Amino acid sequence: MKKTYINNIIFACMFLMALSSCKKALDVNPVDTIEQKNALLTSKDVEGALIGAYSDLGSRNFFGGRSFLITDFLANTDAIEWFGTYEELTQAINKSLLKTNTFVDNVWASGYTAINDANNVIAAIDKVDAAKKNRVEGEAKFIRGAAYFELVRLFGKAYNDGSASANLGVPIVLSPTSIVNESSYVSRATVAAVYNQAIADLTDAEAKLPATNSFFATKSSAAAMLARLYLQMGNYSAAASAANRVITSGNYQLTGTYLDAFPKMPESGKPAKPGENSTEDVFAMQVTTLTGFNGFNEFYGSSTFGGRGDAVISQDWIDATYSAGDDRANAFYDDDDIFTAKFGNQFGNVPVIRLAEMYLIRAESNARLAPAAPIGGVTPLQDLTTVRSRAGLTTLTATLANILNERKLEFAFEGFSLHDAKRTQTNIGSLPWNSTRLVFPIPQREIDANKNLVQNPGY
Amino acid sequence: MKKLLLSMLLYLGAISFAFAQGKVITGKVTSTSGPIPGVSVFVKGSPANGTQSDASGAFKLTVSDDAKTLVFSFIGYKTKEVPITGQSINVNLDEENNTLSDVVVVGYGTQNKRDVTGSVASVKSKDLENLPVTSFEQALQGKAAGVQIAAQNGKLGQGITVRVRGAASVTAGSEPLYIVDGIPITSGDFSSTTAPTSALADINTNDIESIEVLKDASASAIYGARASNGVVLITTKQGKAGKTLIQFNALGGVSSPSNHRDFLNAAQYVQIERRAGQGQANQDFLNGDYATLQKALDDYSASVEARLNRYSAGNNDYQTYKVNSNWEAASFQDKPVTQQYDLNLTGGNEKTKFYIGGQALDQQGIVIGNSYKRYSGRLNLTNKVTDFLEVGINLNFSNSINNRLSNDNAFSSPLQSVALSPITPFIDPRSGLISGTLPGAASNYPVYYNPFISVDNAFYKATVYRTIGKAFANINIAKGLKFSTDFSIDNLNQNEESYYGSLTFRNTGTSNGYGQNISTFVINANTNNFFSYNTTIGKSAFDVILGTSYQKSTTKYSTIEGQDFPSDSYIKLGSAATKVIATSNEGAFSFLSYFFRANYKYNDRYLVGFSVRADGSSRFGANNRYGYFPAGSVAWIASEEDFLKQSETISLLKFRASYGLTGNAEIGNYSARGLFAGTGAYGGLPGQIPSRIANPDLTWEKTKQLDIGFDFGILKNRITGIFDFYQKNTTDLLLDVPIPQTTGFSTKTQNLGSLKNTGFELGINTENFVGAFKWSTAITGAINNNKITNLGGQILNSNEINAAISGQPIGVFYIPEYAGVNPANGDAIYYKNTVDANGNVDRSTTNNINDAQRIFAGNPNPKYTFGLNNTFSYKNFDLGIFFQGVKGNKIFNAGGQYMSANASNGYDNQTVDQMSYWDKPGDVTSVPEPRLFAGNGIGNSTRYLSDGSYVRLKTLTLGYTFPVSVLTKIKLSKLRLYATAQNLLTITGYKGWDPEVNADYQSTNINQGVDFYSAPQPRVISLGINIGL
Repeated sequence: MKKTYINNIIFACMFLMALSSCKKALDVNPVDTIEQKNALLTSKDVEGALIGAYSDLGSRNFFGGRSFLITDFLANTDAIEWFGTYEELTQAINKSLLKTNTFVDNVWASGYTAINDANNVIAAIDKVDAAKKNRVEGEAKFIRGAAYFELVRLFGKAYNDGSASANLGVPIVLSPTSIVNESSYVSRATVAAVYNQAIADLTDAEAKLPATNSFFATKSSAAAMLARLYLQMGNYSAAASAANRVITSGNYQLTGTYLDAFPKMPESGKPAKPGENSTEDVFAMQVTTLTGFNGFNEFYGSSTFGGRGDAVISQDWIDATYSAGDDRANAFYDDDDIFTAKFGNQFGNVPVIRLAEMYLIRAESNARLAPAAPIGGVTPLQDLTTVRSRAGLTTLTATLANILNERKLEFAFEGFSLHDAKRTQTNIGSLPWNSTRLVFPIPQREIDANKNLVQNPGY
Repeated sequence: MKKLLLSMLLYLGAISFAFAQGKVITGKVTSTSGPIPGVSVFVKGSPANGTQSDASGAFKLTVSDDAKTLVFSFIGYKTKEVPITGQSINVNLDEENNTLSDVVVVGYGTQNKRDVTGSVASVKSKDLENLPVTSFEQALQGKAAGVQIAAQNGKLGQGITVRVRGAASVTAGSEPLYIVDGIPITSGDFSSTTAPTSALADINTNDIESIEVLKDASASAIYGARASNGVVLITTKQGKAGKTLIQFNALGGVSSPSNHRDFLNAAQYVQIERRAGQGQANQDFLNGDYATLQKALDDYSASVEARLNRYSAGNNDYQTYKVNSNWEAASFQDKPVTQQYDLNLTGGNEKTKFYIGGQALDQQGIVIGNSYKRYSGRLNLTNKVTDFLEVGINLNFSNSINNRLSNDNAFSSPLQSVALSPITPFIDPRSGLISGTLPGAASNYPVYYNPFISVDNAFYKATVYRTIGKAFANINIAKGLKFSTDFSIDNLNQNEESYYGSLTFRNTGTSNGYGQNISTFVINANTNNFFSYNTTIGKSAFDVILGTSYQKSTTKYSTIEGQDFPSDSYIKLGSAATKVIATSNEGAFSFLSYFFRANYKYNDRYLVGFSVRADGSSRFGANNRYGYFPAGSVAWIASEEDFLKQSETISLLKFRASYGLTGNAEIGNYSARGLFAGTGAYGGLPGQIPSRIANPDLTWEKTKQLDIGFDFGILKNRITGIFDFYQKNTTDLLLDVPIPQTTGFSTKTQNLGSLKNTGFELGINTENFVGAFKWSTAITGAINNNKITNLGGQILNSNEINAAISGQPIGVFYIPEYAGVNPANGDAIYYKNTVDANGNVDRSTTNNINDAQRIFAGNPNPKYTFGLNNTFSYKNFDLGIFFQGVKGNKIFNAGGQYMSANASNGYDNQTVDQMSYWDKPGDVTSVPEPRLFAGNGIGNSTRYLSDGSYVRLKTLTLGYTFPVSVLTKIKLSKLRLYATAQNLLTITGYKGWDPEVNADYQSTNINQGVDFYSAPQPRVISLGINIGL
């Protein structure tokens, strides 16, 4: 009996031991990730968050390629022959996007992810070392401004289609989200309001950014994005001035040959190497073997060169588009089908703004503003000649039609055709330039999640 | 050594000599079917003083004069104790199959089935073993009422969905909690791909003694916080005192796909593709893209002929249909073999008992390139140290090697080859190599990457080493009072290695080889410590437990991926010039629990039970970590009452009712926290990005369950049955709620919404014939109605097919309604189904799917699930016929937009039904006009939805057991030969490969009933032998 008694004591103790060892038993902290409250405490933390914002901006769904690629598909008539089975892009090429199109949803989501990243940086800007503060803030605002401009021109009616101050653009969010509450359900701002937000961000960015900044956004990157934005608005003097600031910065030069402006294709069957920015990249999304993704290559590249080989270029279109002697007609390769050589490197950077665009923006704006003296003191003919001579062509006149046509030749498949068609009010095939089918739907998923959003007409 | 042996023999001889002076007992052991050889006969209390019956059942044993009782024990029979009254004892043993007096395993203990007040489904080893399955869930399918089990596809060792009484959650886990011999084991998916595997496949089904599924709150609430989805208790085989019984089982079989799907032949393919070119030419002309129709037709014709020429290996053989490849048939292996060998030893004495089991399993899958091997061993050992202390270990180790396939959505998945053209030869005549292989046309020939290139040029091997070990002690403190303690470690080590050779470049996007090496390491430690007490005072019986448990599980994971190898002879990542991915991750969770249960029985007829568990989990915010989960139950055994006790008809009648609260914590380990991740590197520089939005209020998902049921036995239990009604109300759903993406996040985990499962379950067992010809029937049937009652106005619809939406069952198909084809122009049309202010539905049609409202088009969850098992035996033959089925669910063929797309979505080969396409004005058909790449009718709609009900002859087994007269001659205690067929016959209206399907890459709680090039279940015909020594 005594033995049992002792046992009882021992066992009771064991039991209590098990009970009491528990205070810490439930404290299991994450080791892969860190808690939000510990993430943005030092200058280094905020600079790291800025790098993160670039990585989200460069998502394949956004500036990594797809937000540009989808627009070229929508504007395509006879250049691209689509052999892919991604239904999202089949819808784009057929100009009948569904509101459930996941590529469209991804553009929206990635854009706002980059914006939230930038908002985190801007909200924590006081943590940044004084010497770096302007640069960091400028880069964050460049990212945010560029993202808003991209989103509004995809999801809102064109600036020149009716009243920009009445047409709905996209929601504007300017502070980081750390918790979801009532204020997280934002309505769409007007097209004009979003353009104004982008202008404010990009103007502030241009003021704060340094002239050179490795492959990150520079003063000129912000000016170049402003030039593109003003051109889209039809504000030609502001566009020409901004383009002129980029050209005269002297930090960028057109490459010797047209193909040199794009990442070098590897030899057939050899591994692709990550490319550096070319001398004319004013801003490009960086791709390495480990980070970034070339979303153009995914569809335009043949499978020998890392792509799916889904978007084939029509030889008829090439023959009809490029005149004899135009070096740009050589920017294609034959891999059983014809593919554009611009995106033949799986790990090549994604060009976002090339210097050639600035010459053509200045040329077009000055041509439109004539007979006023050309901004920058360079005539449209001179600018057009600069771009064309690189392609091995001579130039006699610089009419507006010439310049607009030059944009087609120069920027084919780089995401210009839809936005150019809209601002120049050029119909796409039988589809009017302001057709509702050429505006992205607000993703159904987003409408479902946020009752304050209004769907675009036609969806 | 020899000397030692000799002295041992002498010693043993001395022992037997010591007993030699006593009396000699002789007798015979029989059963209803004749004498039983090999029965262990021993004196109660002195197991060493024993013998065995011989081939004729006779035994002879010398016992001491004071021996009072003999014990007769034999596997498969109830142990019998017989008092020694004279010199001769003849004993008749009863077979161990009377379900009513069975002991069932419940949480932290066992109960007589008669005393169970909750709802527990119990399946014994005889219904699980010797089947050619990989994982035990497959053997359980259809055998436990209310437990719905469905495989995602026919790939080996891959995900199997188990739902106990319906899905109790929307976005948190819905799989039951798995407890093996008292410990919560690591279950779930550790696959690095989107196709899930199952950690449960590491358990050898033939080691399992019984599976109990705890279904209602009173049975499961003892596992409180994780019991909402039901609890599956697996009990492995234990040692038995007596002669060591050696059993050897072997099974060998051949598999084939249970069904084929028909695709177009060369002539049909050429016809429909040409027609598609004409169809789209006409559209372009109508759109004004061409000046004349002829020009459009010419353009398209040139384009189509060029493509056909290309896919015909660059020649014009397609014009004569010379090549007619059947890619579907080629995707399946020729007579894949399944082999399974088991060797088990069961034995021991009064003090020490053991079970040793070993198995080698080698299965070849039906799909080319798929195979699974598993080697496993088990040792269950107990020892009585003293009269009050028992200790033991359970140890299970296994090694499995799964040669896996790509997920259903990959071009490299063999069944995706059905998209390739029948005009494409398997071997490219230009190169003599498999079509699509370099050197030669490879970048755009055939239509897609040819998955057969992967067969010899790629592999994906998952190797698992699993050890589950438990040490335990039971201490009898006082009469009826016991303290049990155990400590266990479940260690899962998995390595997934793959290499994709240079010839697979079109699939991998890299020209010089691609390799992956992924390691997963899970260590799951658990300890249970509890007191149990039972006593009887007069007519009252008490049974109480009180205890605590703690579990911590840590998962570590690392991935390396590299590309650019010197040649395909190098497959390890050290040889990769470029490392593409190198990551490591770690996550952990812990549960700390306290539990209490009391059962009270009065006068053998009134039963009351109460239990409560307090659970804390690291997964929730510090303020809301603990949850309390009480449950109560009552039962009345009416047949014990005087007015029924004498009844000849009714042998058992028991009424049960229970109500209780359980919880669910199956969410991510850190779902409550706002997090940043260091995965924002850009341009070679490190960066961080927000990765999760915080929800500090996150807490348990709760399920309140009511269960009312009764058990009955009629005609001396010749007919027994069990019936249950239940209602499960889940609230505070752990929901990944879509939030506006303008926040920078897409979802947040929060407690929002509720859902309800209501249903009925029926289980009936009958002994239709007893005697020489035996026939028994077991029926299980269940009805479950799942309905989401509140999701806070959200619609979860990530795949644009299934939805979770208030008022509808989870996963309801939410798609536009297909209205067929406009006979005038061949356009696919859809019902608008828009509702005006007065509630009138617009049933006019549109050819723009965007203008068609989505409708609730069907339920992916079966309403009815059932199983029907008939077993017959006559003389030495036994026959088992087991049917299983579901009814009331639908299946969406998500591959339809490619394979049944009236050639309007590229050059994919089409299913044969597409030949009834619209051809000219006035044609009435449901297949729209083929229009090359125009997507005419391919949007998600009810066009691709069909009924998913089926009845399947799951198992058909015919066996022959050799009679004792033969066994005596060959000195065996048992010899049975049998043939068994799995999935021999499936009756269904579904036109796809198999109605038991849910494409692996997209499966979630919501995304159910979706077919996407998913392999069917195998039909396995096998022969087996059971040998007992």
